[in-house]
Amino acid sequence: MVQALPEVTNCLATPSRRWRLGAWIALLLAPGLAIMTVFVAAPLLSSFRYAFYEFHGVLPSAFIGFANFHDILFDSTYAVSTWRALAHNAIVFASLMIVQNGLAYLIAFALLKALPGHRLHQVIIFLPVMLSAVIVGFLWKLFFHPLFGLVNAALALVGIQGLPWLGTESTALGAIIFTNAWHWVGFPALIFLAGMQRISRETIEAARIDGASDTVLMTRIIWPLVAPSATIVVILTFIGSFNWFELPYIMAGATGSPGGATDVLGLFFYRTAFGSASSGLQDFGHGSALAVLMFLFIAIVSALALRVLRAREIET
Amino acid sequence: MAGMKFGRRALAALTGLTLASGIAAAQAGEVTFWTWRQEDRAVYTDLFAEFTKANPGITVKFEAFPNENYNTIVTTALAGGKGGDVLHARAYGGLEAMAKAGYYLPLDKTNVPELANLPDDANASESLRADGKVYAVSLAGQTLGLIVNQDVLAAAGVTMASDWDGFLGMCKALKAKGITPIANGTATPWMDAIFATVFTNPFVGPAWTADMLAGKTTFSDPKFIGALAKLLDLKDCMPNGFTGVDYPTSQQLFSAGKAAIFVGGSFEIAPFRRGNPKLNLDFVAPPAPAIGQPSHVSRFFDSGFAVNAKSANPADALKLVRWMATKAFAEPAAAKLGNISSLKDVAAADPLLAKVAKLNETAMPYSTLVYFRFEAPTGTDLLQDGVQKMFGGSATPAEVGAAITAGLSKWYKPFQK
Amino acid sequence: MRGEPIKHGLIQALLILNAFVMLYPLFVMVMSAFKSNAEIFASPFALPESFAFTNASRMWSETSFILYLLNSLIVTAAAIAAIVVFGTMAAYAIARYPFRLSSAAFMFFLAGLMVPLKLAIIPLFIQLDSLGLIDTRLGLILVYTAMGLPSSVFILTGFLRTLPGELEESARIEGASELRIMLQVMLPLARPAMVIAAIQNAVPIWNDFFFPLVFISSDRLKTLPQGLTVFMGEYNTDWGVLFAGLTLAALPITLVYIALSRQFIAGLTQGAGK
Repeated sequence: MVQALPEVTNCLATPSRRWRLGAWIALLLAPGLAIMTVFVAAPLLSSFRYAFYEFHGVLPSAFIGFANFHDILFDSTYAVSTWRALAHNAIVFASLMIVQNGLAYLIAFALLKALPGHRLHQVIIFLPVMLSAVIVGFLWKLFFHPLFGLVNAALALVGIQGLPWLGTESTALGAIIFTNAWHWVGFPALIFLAGMQRISRETIEAARIDGASDTVLMTRIIWPLVAPSATIVVILTFIGSFNWFELPYIMAGATGSPGGATDVLGLFFYRTAFGSASSGLQDFGHGSALAVLMFLFIAIVSALALRVLRAREIET
Repeated sequence: MAGMKFGRRALAALTGLTLASGIAAAQAGEVTFWTWRQEDRAVYTDLFAEFTKANPGITVKFEAFPNENYNTIVTTALAGGKGGDVLHARAYGGLEAMAKAGYYLPLDKTNVPELANLPDDANASESLRADGKVYAVSLAGQTLGLIVNQDVLAAAGVTMASDWDGFLGMCKALKAKGITPIANGTATPWMDAIFATVFTNPFVGPAWTADMLAGKTTFSDPKFIGALAKLLDLKDCMPNGFTGVDYPTSQQLFSAGKAAIFVGGSFEIAPFRRGNPKLNLDFVAPPAPAIGQPSHVSRFFDSGFAVNAKSANPADALKLVRWMATKAFAEPAAAKLGNISSLKDVAAADPLLAKVAKLNETAMPYSTLVYFRFEAPTGTDLLQDGVQKMFGGSATPAEVGAAITAGLSKWYKPFQK
Repeated sequence: MRGEPIKHGLIQALLILNAFVMLYPLFVMVMSAFKSNAEIFASPFALPESFAFTNASRMWSETSFILYLLNSLIVTAAAIAAIVVFGTMAAYAIARYPFRLSSAAFMFFLAGLMVPLKLAIIPLFIQLDSLGLIDTRLGLILVYTAMGLPSSVFILTGFLRTLPGELEESARIEGASELRIMLQVMLPLARPAMVIAAIQNAVPIWNDFFFPLVFISSDRLKTLPQGLTVFMGEYNTDWGVLFAGLTLAALPITLVYIALSRQFIAGLTQGAGK
């Protein structure tokens, strides 16, 4: 990663100052690193070991090398779900980028105009973010309900026959993505807004005097300048999309109803590792192997994406 | 590893909390009972008070967890050497997963002589197939069939049909009166396995099931596929948009009197009555393939009571489990929980449950649970996935049957041919 | 510029429509808190038959609501404080100083976002047990802090990197210490980012019931979402009571956000002035 901060090096003149600066940096990092190591890294690494063991029941029975990984990627029992889920995750990411983050950018731009009521609106768009996914999932199940849902009632007003949105294979994933966008749109909006607020007023005024329209302002002037915000939003959406779990679990269950049409990697991981009360069995072996593969995939793609996105930040 | 240990010590020193209390450091005379049955808190609390009366000096603490997280919570606590002293245990494959890990104390004639009060099939549901040992005292048997709202049928002037064609005709008659015949939708997977089992079992019959278990035939057999195809006839009996109707909605449709029949288990009777005490319920077997042919309800054992192998208070925990295998517990428990006790000589006092018990005499097993939930992919997982796809139109009955057979053949030896 | 009022009117109209879409489900949520299960499913979008506090009073009598609420407040507040303080410190080091392991440290934090910690529930339980932290609030606080650090370090690093270096440099030339530069020059500019990091982590922590279920067993230490799980039965979930509980639970955190969003606006004027 590129660190474009040459000015600090000026004060590293003497070894003692350099040493003091090193100690200062270490002090800043120490508490965070210590907590992460003890409560995240160590337990996770320890459970990654399970990926190399066979499980019948809740304890490992034999070391089997990479067999679990092979099953996840190639054995028909698992691989069908793996690849189908991965494709769904990709759809989720692309859709959230367009629907949720696109809308968030527009809202942030509208809020930047500081029209009357913008502070209130800033509170309103963030209210859904405050809610637990349990409530959000349940509410939107009611809205999409085939018997008494408001979505179908509204469509009926304009003469469209509604569907059981969450029970139809072609629409269920879309319905959950929509719910996610409703739940979270306030968050990227706020990140974009924070980025836009850092743009100096002169820059925007100068563009306006040159006759730039809102569209030009949004796409040519502001967009490159909020690149750091965009980096944050894209990476968090990417990681969130490929670890997506809570909302589909609440709205479609652990198996991704109907018939796996909403199955994503997070659900597949959860039901493989933890089973379910009413049907599956716990299997930490395959579950951990899947988690390791998901981790590698997300980490590699994120690292590459960060490189690209940050290079873009520096160019501008 | 050394570094980690140092880290732990350093952190413990830093926080100065090394002496903070651990989970329920066992007090003499207190037994902790863990369950997923949140809704039974009051019943168990009363029953445990009776136990304390009979066993002065031993109190029982009731701890309930959400059903969906229960397995994880128990596994985690037991792996850390903690957990309740007496644990509500699942049956069949769910029991095996825990028992194989050595988390449950094996029960036998010496430590729990009361096991003799239970029939063999009940004890088998809480046994490890590998060693034949019993690990939990079975609580109840559950029966799958049709729960009927008699008042709704009477108001519509319709009588319950007992054969397939009659049943479909009855559905039409109910629909004409604006009543949804069957409350069930297919949005909640675990209900789909039950739904399919209820209606397919009379079509395949006990002889076919015995052949299938022996490996002489599989779920790809035309008989099973034909039975699956019959399910699609029921589309017109179910609520509009049934693929998007989930379990709680089905429950509400039924208990509000908007639907006449709920396809489910005897375990639903008590919650329905609690939700709406005015419901006039009946429980019947699903329709037979044709007039004059037999029909069958489906049956399985539900759950049991196990002793934590690492309990700090095993003597008192065993006392509690022994008591739970006697009439002193089972009779009032069955009456208050509204289920059919696993114990041999506990008769159902409630007339409706007595009727269910009678139906049990010709019951067939809920096969995908009783025989096919020991390894992944489980029979219930495969069945419910297939049923959803079939109703959604993305798989044919033949494809579903083939997928179940192929999935099970990964681990079920008789299918590996 | 003549089109401006019309355009502003249009934008305003779209914002109002958006506000309605955002708020209406919340209205349904609040109404549901007054309904029984039967009523929720029979007429989910109608006004409740009565505004009696049946659900709230059940929650009151069947759980130790105030105690749980207090525990949730303590745990969430402490975890968020730790997340913001430690997260800002680490992010500041990564964003403002070029050192050799900067990228590695950054990726180490970010990696924490990429695996569900649930996977490690058993090792984590054993780890906490060996530290004597099972069934303590501190154990929960530390786990939540560890869960929140990755995203807060990520967000804060992103923002801190964009702060102009001239400010820092001129303060340094004036002889200010690194600590003073951080606290008095740089961090005030990062307040919106700190608010975002805090609130984004507060919500999942506030609403989580999984970790308390596994780590907390004493009734006096239970958190509110954990306490409310008594209404989630195997076959019957009491949605009305859950709605009542979760609606009430959403109140404090919403008030905190409204208070913090002022901070956010304060950040706006400051940032734009520079």
